[in-house]
Amino acid sequence: MSESIIIENLTKYYGKFLALDSLSLRVEENENIGLLGPNGAGKSTTLKILCGLIRASSGTAHIDGVNVAEKPEQALSRIGTIVETPEFYSYLTPEETLMYLGRIRGMKGNRLKKRIKEVIELVRLEEWGRVRIEKFSRGMKQRLGLAQALLHDPPVLILDEPGLGLDPRGVVEFRAIIEEVGKEKTVFFASHQLTEVTQICNQVAIIDHGKLLAYDSVAQLEAQYKSLEQAYLELTGGTFERI
Amino acid sequence: MSEFEKLRVVTWYEFMKHIRRKRLYVILGLTFIAEIAVLILLPVLMDKYPDNVMAMAAMLTVGPSLATIGAVFFAGDAIAGEFESKTGFILFTNPVRRITLITGKYLASCAAVILLVIFGYVITAISLLAIYGEVPVEMYKSFGLCLLFAGSVLSVTFFFSSISKGSMGATVITLVFIMVISGIIESVLMMAGKPYWFILSAGGDSVALVYGGMELFMEGMIPAGGMSMIPFEFKTPAIELFAYSMTGYMVVCFVLSLWISRRRQLA
Repeated sequence: MSESIIIENLTKYYGKFLALDSLSLRVEENENIGLLGPNGAGKSTTLKILCGLIRASSGTAHIDGVNVAEKPEQALSRIGTIVETPEFYSYLTPEETLMYLGRIRGMKGNRLKKRIKEVIELVRLEEWGRVRIEKFSRGMKQRLGLAQALLHDPPVLILDEPGLGLDPRGVVEFRAIIEEVGKEKTVFFASHQLTEVTQICNQVAIIDHGKLLAYDSVAQLEAQYKSLEQAYLELTGGTFERI
Repeated sequence: MSEFEKLRVVTWYEFMKHIRRKRLYVILGLTFIAEIAVLILLPVLMDKYPDNVMAMAAMLTVGPSLATIGAVFFAGDAIAGEFESKTGFILFTNPVRRITLITGKYLASCAAVILLVIFGYVITAISLLAIYGEVPVEMYKSFGLCLLFAGSVLSVTFFFSSISKGSMGATVITLVFIMVISGIIESVLMMAGKPYWFILSAGGDSVALVYGGMELFMEGMIPAGGMSMIPFEFKTPAIELFAYSMTGYMVVCFVLSLWISRRRQLA
């Protein structure tokens, strides 16, 4: 089995602040990995480097064997992303937004229209498909964010707190969708929600201060620390307030 | 899919933004009101329209103002907005080169500004036809210079948008740069009898200067013999110099905005 994501000695400075400290991580194809860590641990920074939004100070990141810094377009063609709370052009409708994003990804014609219909149904936005996004709540934008991430059926999903802003029903539906699509995709998933991670992911990476503290299967961490929560608390050296 | 096809898609969806925004229609409405005001106020205040069709054409020329306002309001948020409102998290994670995205935005803004400029020139042409029964052939030259000026102002706006954190900052900085800083420097150089053609706002002035120079324009405004009251002598540089200057602003500022946008990170 090949590796979908390879992160090697990734270091990132914001001015003098060290956000990532020689982080290395390898994610197998079709593996679902949860990236856990307190605020400021470096989760979003890692995902943003993988998405080509920021550059690493040193180290490399590969997606499906493609170096993100050297060939960003080629690497980005293999991923679907949700980074932070997604924001869209308010003057477009979800259908138009997906048409726009699909077309710049090289999709067109009936295949694109059919796929747009599918993903809109998947995220339960059927009634809002032709309504301008300016009227959308945060949760609805989050749903549309997932729709655009899945639109081109990428082999790798990179998701940063995808459940943020969703109501309880939305969270459950969201998890079910990611769990389902995750069976055939590599999912790299940053979250604060331990239950969400245990439900979706089979592997967990815990980071703090930009360093990798643990990278193992959920079952192994639970066996070693009694629970994932306990593992998280012990490894990050924090209290419940830090979660 | 080729980068050119992607550029076409980006340009179309960005143009759609301008078409759907209220600001396009507000500027069109204000242009109409400004032109009508000139047409009503001139005969009221001066008893009649100027005898010379060229002087009237110069007075009705709103193209530079339209180009400035249009460019600043359409393009101020073009780059800064992606970072400020975080729509870049969706747009920049697609397999499209940043250069293609920014160029598409530029072309879409150009198309929207050209719409405004055409609207202004159509009103001017109809007015001149109605009053004088003719349209001076110099209007084509003026139109061409106005498009060049619009392109240069757009590039300057893109440059400020690429270095600004927010859309409002980019919009205000560009307006201050063009209408205040450039305007003041141009006036000082003009009064000192020094070359001023390389100042961006002077490019805007050249759009009306093709009708016969500053003297003609002032004679249209000031009573006979009034020109002697002006404490300095107008020396209108060759129009080509303004065109070279505007082309320089257009190319240099656009290339700079591309370079900065490519390097800018969305943290």
